[in-house]
This record gives sequence, structure tokens and C-alpha cells, in this order.
Amino acid sequence: MATSLSLSQFLSSLLPSKQPIPPPPPPSSLHFPNKPPSGWVSLVSTTLDPTTPSCSSFINPIVCPALAYSNTLYFKSCYNVQVIVGENEPEDKLVGRFRREVLRAGVIQECKRRRYFENTHDKKKRKARDAARRNRKWRPLPKVQAKREAPKKKNGDKDDNWDDYEVDLPYCKH
Amino acid sequence: MAKPAPRIGSRRNGRIGLRKSARRIPKGVIHVQASFNNTIVTVTDVRGRVISWSSAGTCGFKGTRRGTPFAAQTAAGNAIRTVVDQGMQRAEVMIKGPGLGRDAALRAIRRSGVILSFIRDVTPMPHNGCRPLKKGVCKNKQNIEMISEK
Repeated sequence: MATSLSLSQFLSSLLPSKQPIPPPPPPSSLHFPNKPPSGWVSLVSTTLDPTTPSCSSFINPIVCPALAYSNTLYFKSCYNVQVIVGENEPEDKLVGRFRREVLRAGVIQECKRRRYFENTHDKKKRKARDAARRNRKWRPLPKVQAKREAPKKKNGDKDDNWDDYEVDLPYCKH
Repeated sequence: MAKPAPRIGSRRNGRIGLRKSARRIPKGVIHVQASFNNTIVTVTDVRGRVISWSSAGTCGFKGTRRGTPFAAQTAAGNAIRTVVDQGMQRAEVMIKGPGLGRDAALRAIRRSGVILSFIRDVTPMPHNGCRPLKKGVCKNKQNIEMISEK
């Protein structure tokens, strides 16, 4: 939410239009070569960050992180994935690249998930499954380390004093 | 409601309408909507005004065959053939939806000889908006129809 507010402030200072961007705004006030999208869509589009920014307008993410992916604002459609086609790129390579980008963005998975309603129980199960898959992928080490540490502890028992000493204890028969 | 007679020269920005065949558009946008049951390919100009369209259904496929990648391929080929004759050289591709026709349509577009600048996925994603249907609705409907027929 904070990024969207800062974005609207930045835009209002940048553009000659005096109006801020409320939902739904009149698009004619903004001056763009292509017809701009309605305001709330453009604000929201920054969250759908494209994997490759278009080469026409590039804003350094260090200078203004909120506007780093604002290239989507200049297009009528806010896209999930963009693939810039090179010259004489073979068909298979292009299709493969597009498929890989879409897989990384998780578009089809998201579509299937949102097709039917998911109650809280199913949602919990799905989240647990995803978390398990993620942990299995990126953290297979902790189990191996635990196995190495367990035998070491057994060797340490030798230092403990477990010898039997004869001590006169009251109320004990020896 | 009768349309008023068009006055020549009065509406430049408005609809051209009847003069469709005269339009020569070098650059356009190809929209591919790939749902689970069908694929629709629409060719528009940069502003979004439709030039021609085609779908798996209009290509002669019926029922479940419309959702196949081959149907998407023929639909894309059909849509682009009419436009390439009109002189379209460069195009952007906008793909929407989760269907099987996505890749097949893309391949057909690539093979048709149009120079592609961008390929974008514009599947609409709600930010937790409308509540979708409950699970198994379509299957239940089919079962009810079968029972009522008997």
C-alpha cells in the first residue's frame, strides 16, 4: 500500500495533470502516446512485476524502487510476463523461453487455483504442500547435519563420571 | 433506431466503419484468448480496433475438439491469413488464459511470417476479488442433465 501511495504522489508531481489517480479516473487528463489505463489498474500493475522490463523507458530500481517496473503503466494492458523477441530467433527456442517465463511467474497454476473456490481447509493444505516442497528443494542439509551431530554426543558420555562409589548413605543397607 | 446519414469530414477520430477494405495497417496486435474449451484469435490495430478474428469453433471444430492445440493452430492461421494479405508486417502478441492453445497459437503465428516484437501474457489476475464457483459445479450439472434425460 505504501508503494502505491508514493507512486501516485510521484506521478502527480511528474505529470502536468492536477488530478490524483482515484478509482476510476478520467484517462484523458494524462498525456501519453497510447491511451493509458484507468488509474487503479496502473497503480496495481506495479505489483505484477514483469520479469524483463521493456527497453523503451528504464528507471533504475535503486533511484526509485516504486517506479522500477512502471513500464507496464505505458501499455494499455498490464502484463504478467513479457518476452522480447530477438531477430531470427528459432521458433522452438522462442516458445520454450515463453513457457519458462510463464512457469516462473506461476500464471497457469494461479489460474487453476482460482477457477473454483478454495475453503480455508484446502487453502491450508495447499500452503503446507507448497512450503514442504520449497523446504525440500532449498534445505535438504539440516537432516544430514543432525545425523552427524547425534553420534558425537554419544562419545562425550565417556567423560562423565558414572563409576560406582561406595558411600555410606543413611537409611540404606549395604 | 435509424442511423443518421454520415457526413463526410465531420468525424475524423470516429469510426471508419464502411471503409474496412481500404485500411492498410503495418503494425498490429494479435490477441489470443485460450480457455480450456476454446481458443479465440483476434487481430486488432495498435489502438485496439478489431480487424479480423477467428476461433476454433468458427474453423469447424465442435465440442471438446475446440480446446485442442491443433484447433488453436488452425484458428491462428486463419486469422492471420486475412491480415497478412492486407499488409501487416509487425505484430505484438497478447496471450490470455490457461488453455492448451497458448503454445500452438504462438507457433502458428511465428510460422506465418509476421515479425513479432513482444509476446505478453495478459491473463487477468484478481487481487482476491469475486468469489469463484464452488468445486465440482460443472460435473454436478452434467449428472443432473443425464438423470433428467433418463
